[in-house]
Amino acid sequence: MDSGPLISGIGHGALLAWALIGGLFSRAPEDTFEVSEVSIISAEEFAALSTPQPSPDVEVNIPTPPQPEIEDTPPETPVVETPPEVQQPPVEETPPPAEEAPEVVETPPPATEVEDTPPETPLPPAQDNPVVLAPPAEIATPRPAPRVAPTPVVAPPPDTEVAEDVVEEASPDADTQAQNEPDEATAPEEATDVIVTEADEPPSSAPTSSARPSARPKRPTPPVETADSSTSDAINAALADVQAEDNAAPATTAPTGPPLSFGEKDALRVAVSNCWAVDVGGTSSRVTVVVGVSLDREGKVIKGSLQLIGSEGGDDAAVAVAFRNARSAIIRCQKGGYKLPIEKYSHWREIEMTFNPEKMRIK
Amino acid sequence: MKHLVTSILTLFLALVALPIVVVTNAQAEPLRIIIDDGVIEPLPFAVPDFVAENAEASEYAAKIARVVAADLSGTGLFREISKDAFISTVTSFDSPVQYADWKAINAQALIVGAVNVSGNKVTVKFRLFDVFSGAPLGEGLQFGGTTTSWRRMAHKVADAAYSRITGEGAYFDSRVVFVSETGPKNDRKKRLAIMDYDGAGVQYLTDSQSLVLAPRFSPTGDRVLYTSYETGFPKIYVLDVASVGRQALADQPGTMTFAPRFSPNGQTVVYSLSSGGNTDIYRMEIGGGAPVRLTSEPSIETAPSFSPDGKQIVFESDRSGNQQLYIMPANGGAAQRISFGSGRYGTPVWSPRGDLVAFTKQNKGRFHIGVMRLDGSEERLLTASFLDEGPSWSPNGRVIMFMRESAGAGGAVSLYSVDISGRNLRPVPAEGGASDPSWSPLLK
Repeated sequence: MDSGPLISGIGHGALLAWALIGGLFSRAPEDTFEVSEVSIISAEEFAALSTPQPSPDVEVNIPTPPQPEIEDTPPETPVVETPPEVQQPPVEETPPPAEEAPEVVETPPPATEVEDTPPETPLPPAQDNPVVLAPPAEIATPRPAPRVAPTPVVAPPPDTEVAEDVVEEASPDADTQAQNEPDEATAPEEATDVIVTEADEPPSSAPTSSARPSARPKRPTPPVETADSSTSDAINAALADVQAEDNAAPATTAPTGPPLSFGEKDALRVAVSNCWAVDVGGTSSRVTVVVGVSLDREGKVIKGSLQLIGSEGGDDAAVAVAFRNARSAIIRCQKGGYKLPIEKYSHWREIEMTFNPEKMRIK
Repeated sequence: MKHLVTSILTLFLALVALPIVVVTNAQAEPLRIIIDDGVIEPLPFAVPDFVAENAEASEYAAKIARVVAADLSGTGLFREISKDAFISTVTSFDSPVQYADWKAINAQALIVGAVNVSGNKVTVKFRLFDVFSGAPLGEGLQFGGTTTSWRRMAHKVADAAYSRITGEGAYFDSRVVFVSETGPKNDRKKRLAIMDYDGAGVQYLTDSQSLVLAPRFSPTGDRVLYTSYETGFPKIYVLDVASVGRQALADQPGTMTFAPRFSPNGQTVVYSLSSGGNTDIYRMEIGGGAPVRLTSEPSIETAPSFSPDGKQIVFESDRSGNQQLYIMPANGGAAQRISFGSGRYGTPVWSPRGDLVAFTKQNKGRFHIGVMRLDGSEERLLTASFLDEGPSWSPNGRVIMFMRESAGAGGAVSLYSVDISGRNLRPVPAEGGASDPSWSPLLK
């Protein structure tokens, strides 16, 4: 018996039965509609509703509001019996604001204006009246100052503390009432940038020569090709050279970043320069010394690392003095450590500083 | 083909490996920085009162410390830190130094001393410390003397400290001979006087009966040459400082002799002699002998000064039509002009260091004290006033003392000193008016 037509017939029959019984051809339920009630109006009522409303009246002459009466005498300030705390520091102890100090005059002195007496010092403001400002300096001559530095600094008011770290004075402000102790202003040590002699022809501060730039580092010697060298020999030789160089340099000196930028180097140079005192009339001012120093990761001098690497000019005593001055500058100006990028520590761990007083001698 | 492969591989290795080598080499090199711009400022130092080792010494302990501090501060190279700022106190000469305390007040140098007095004997000892290196600067020194010479011992301490810090010779234990002036300008009484370099201990060497000019110390400091008008004409005398005895040097009738100066060995005197309206330079042995004429010009040659090695003489001459400076061999001969600036140059004095000549310059109605190199280069005018004149070098060639006269009929004369850098111009205290200073060598 052939079962194929039988199975097919049963299957088709079942399918038809499911279609008929399962509702395949039944209608989907219709969507429900929301119904709202409306009212019917007449044409007159519609016309009345659609008529535009008249604009409000515009009044042209608006009366001017009466001006308040101006009194000749100002209103009395209410008397405050007890001043608020910390709003106003004591007048006697308040130094004049630093920004109100006379401007620094860098113009060289006129050739015919040299006087027997030193130029007048701008008077500081009176102690009992901080509102009075110091008169602006009208003198075109540089002020004589005990410190001659690359950057001139005007004399601070007498009550202002001279400090290495300059602090702006805290001004009384309503927003800072919660501040308990106002900061007192500090100022850098007074300095001028030229030696002011009494003569009318002061020596020029312009350098007559500049430091010779350092020599370019030697280029690496390219490998020499020999006509009869074999491939393996050349490869081995090159690898041996690289290996030898790797062995020569400690692994700890591996570079960890780009070298110091010009600005970073200059910041270090300026920091040391500010403490490098040069005796311009002494024999040590004719000595150039090269000092080596090692810094830790905080930028502080590692004890015992300062050493004289080389010198030029002068006798032994002058060299010793020049080295001592250089060493003192490096130590004194490190403070909490020279501010150098830690990620470039491998580049500034070892430093050689050349102290050349040639420019200073002619100031 | 094989050669080509070799070249390519070698080139590859070079391109890959060599940068590594270069970077490694760069790491081996330290960071190099050139510092050519420093500051000029006094070095801060601290001098606590010296320790008095017995009751008698208490009077001198503080005074000696004050003189030491004044000596150093007076140079302009040092700045004393006030005792009010001290954190540490020094109660014993041998107690360890609290470097941190002195470093905290920014003292770079510290001088600790002690004084002991026994009868009229005074013993002063001191140590100098480099605060920032945390170590003594040289070994301790001790000086002995009498109670009357306590100032000299203080100067000795300051001299030693100055030399150790600057690396140069000092000048505190020295004296100055000068012309003391009293009375109005049109009737001045002048006499020779001598004092410490700082104006203390003035003593008079001559009376005011006759006019005296231009005293000059001998290289040993025990004699003084000067010009006197007691005969009505200028004449040179040699005065022994200890005994105040004197004798005429060159007695040449009909001539006027002036502007004397010793040679470096003290055996020869060089001076000006005016005869027949002409002035030239001569030299003579101090013990006698015939004078030797060094210049033979129709112009005025005067104000000679030996070089430190005694081989040359710098002098002023108007042979060019204007008063200028010249250098010639010590035995005479061709002179070379060294001053070429505007104005008139005079009274040249060779530096003890041998590298500079100090001079007086008159230009545009003003007087200056200046210095220049031996070839006339690097001329620097250190002062300017109505009248500055007569420079004299300190024993170490670092400071110049000179005379300054104020304008007007009652113009007063006084002594000033200035550092050769042009800084630290200051008056030298002296009793009354003072002019024509001559600085002695360091005392023995």
